[in-house]
Amino acid sequence: MKKIVPFISILMLIFLAWASPAYVAEKSPYKIGVNLEFTGPWAEVTKTVKNAMVLEVERINKTGGVDGHPLELIFEDNGFDLGRVAANMTKFTRDREIIAVVGPFEDNLQATSRAIAEREKITNIIICPSNSMLRSLKQKWAFNIAQSDIVVSQKLVDLSLARKYKKALVFYAAHPLAQSLAEYYKRFGEEKGMKVIIAKETHKPTDIDMTPQLIKLKPIIEKEKIDVFYASTAGPPGPIVCKNLRTLGIKIPILGTHAFGFGFIIALGGQAMEGVEFAAGKPVVPDQLDENDPVRPVILDFNKRFTERYGVGIDQIAGHAHDSISLIYDALKRCQGKVTRATFRDALENTKGLKNCHGIYNYSPTDHDGLSKRDMVFIRIEGGKFKRIKFPGSE
Amino acid sequence: MDSWTYFPQFLSSGITMGAIYALVALGFVTISKASQIINFAQGEFVMLGGVVTFSLLNGLKLPYPVAALTTIVFVVLVGFATYLSVIYPLRKASILILIMATLGVSIFLSSTSGLVFGTLPKALPPFTSEQPLQFLGISMLPQSAWVLLSTFILLIFLYLLSHRTLLGKAMEASSTDPLGADLLGISRNLMVFLAFGVSAGVGAFAGILITPIFFTSYSSGTLLGLKGFIAAVLGGWGKNNGAILGGFVLGLVESLSLLIIPSGYKDAVAFVILLLILYFRPKGILGSPFIDSRRW
Repeated sequence: MKKIVPFISILMLIFLAWASPAYVAEKSPYKIGVNLEFTGPWAEVTKTVKNAMVLEVERINKTGGVDGHPLELIFEDNGFDLGRVAANMTKFTRDREIIAVVGPFEDNLQATSRAIAEREKITNIIICPSNSMLRSLKQKWAFNIAQSDIVVSQKLVDLSLARKYKKALVFYAAHPLAQSLAEYYKRFGEEKGMKVIIAKETHKPTDIDMTPQLIKLKPIIEKEKIDVFYASTAGPPGPIVCKNLRTLGIKIPILGTHAFGFGFIIALGGQAMEGVEFAAGKPVVPDQLDENDPVRPVILDFNKRFTERYGVGIDQIAGHAHDSISLIYDALKRCQGKVTRATFRDALENTKGLKNCHGIYNYSPTDHDGLSKRDMVFIRIEGGKFKRIKFPGSE
Repeated sequence: MDSWTYFPQFLSSGITMGAIYALVALGFVTISKASQIINFAQGEFVMLGGVVTFSLLNGLKLPYPVAALTTIVFVVLVGFATYLSVIYPLRKASILILIMATLGVSIFLSSTSGLVFGTLPKALPPFTSEQPLQFLGISMLPQSAWVLLSTFILLIFLYLLSHRTLLGKAMEASSTDPLGADLLGISRNLMVFLAFGVSAGVGAFAGILITPIFFTSYSSGTLLGLKGFIAAVLGGWGKNNGAILGGFVLGLVESLSLLIIPSGYKDAVAFVILLLILYFRPKGILGSPFIDSRRW
């Protein structure tokens, strides 16, 4: 019996050494939690996010990771469900090895995730834009990577001024982001001498027919001689609004949000989408950027690698996914001393002049949105394609 | 109020929605007439109609009519499969359990469709031109006219089926008097089996009609199903003409109610109507053969 115990322990040791993965010799990985809507209505969009993130992480790990530490992504599906967003977030925070969480994607889900991040002191990188309600909380641990509602609204006002629109009617979706987009558009527009009317009628993201609301808006459009109709919405309601407007015989130009910059939006709206204009991130038109655009090389390189591997070009969402990994990689490299959740957060907040797909990121203690007006381009839908438009004076 | 001048426009919008609700309600009624089962997967048949046609058109590049016909046949087969795999094994259970089972089928079909065909919404090209028609201050899509016309034709077809054929009468008999039907040698299982096929076909047809106007995604069946159910109850549960009437009334009330209330409450209107019917006239407008009116 006495002889057997050491024998078994030696056997077990050998077995353990043999079964351990090969990278045991390398440094421990930096783990990133990803909390996204892999099932539910955005399943196809978040699949792009996952593909892009995996592509970037593999590239970084092949070139030696961060000082020899590989990056590791841990994916959790939140099923477009607030409860599961919170559960995943809590699960990630309990795993001490995870230094940051990316996601969620949808506006309605971000408040919960941010609150948990704040309480548990973990960095939360959120893909959708922030809104004024959330910014007023001055949360230290949450960062947004998409163009904020302020930037988008400023850019849209520029577009309206360049097109010489005097009166605009805003029809927004009943969720916080769409509402703050509408309000900022009104505020910035009126500063520049436009008249902006925000419609009392709203729509829900799940509405399949906006005709009744638009019938109520038609008299306003005719009586006030509205120049432009701004559909502050995202997802399928965008093309539905355009289709319903045209069906009702309303022919005024339509402005959209940056959420119109997806191929499926044109596919849904068809003919009704022709002539719709909006401001969006640069990945919408990778091939139409200026020669001297500082982020053009980043976009072209990423587009090439993405197309080689997945057979489709990048869109805004793939761009956001690229940017999230790139921001994490950059911040990890700049971490002073041991990488902890706190040092990572401070490093991320000090991001300055990082060239990414969506533009040049500058975070500061007062700005957790990172992008500016220069990081957007004007887009017009023409012949079923996105076409970049330029105006003298404003890009 | 200004919007009263747009009354005709609200009317036309309501009639289009009404035709769609009526088509979904017809599917509910067809099954319940044969078996008293409320098939909550009815909305999913509609969703499949739109989504499968879209995939056949864009994936296999089939011509439109071929894709539409193939889809209807496919969804009818799904209806048969639903009966064989879920309803038939549970035929000895109570109606309540069967209804629960159809809820399960509904979740299964919508999730499977999300996995197989993708979760983004889909739009079919319209049957004819995309240019809106203008008359009498109303502007509507030609597709809306197609919806109305097709609903009318389908109604005639279902009327002939249930009133002029032995099959339809046998279907109705097996529901109203199961024992009598058995004694006369009607196979009730066969009748319910066929009813599932007919109702799936009607659903798929509705799906193909509406996808050019309203986009169909894997999850849009649930709300359509609920609205169709309300329409069927409103018109008189178990009657074809009740379903049609209920559908149009629901569509019109929903649309016209926006003249007085804000649009945010649009979906709630349908459910308030359902509550009101259940309080004051549970047998519906035309009366239901299944609900004993003497008690009310």
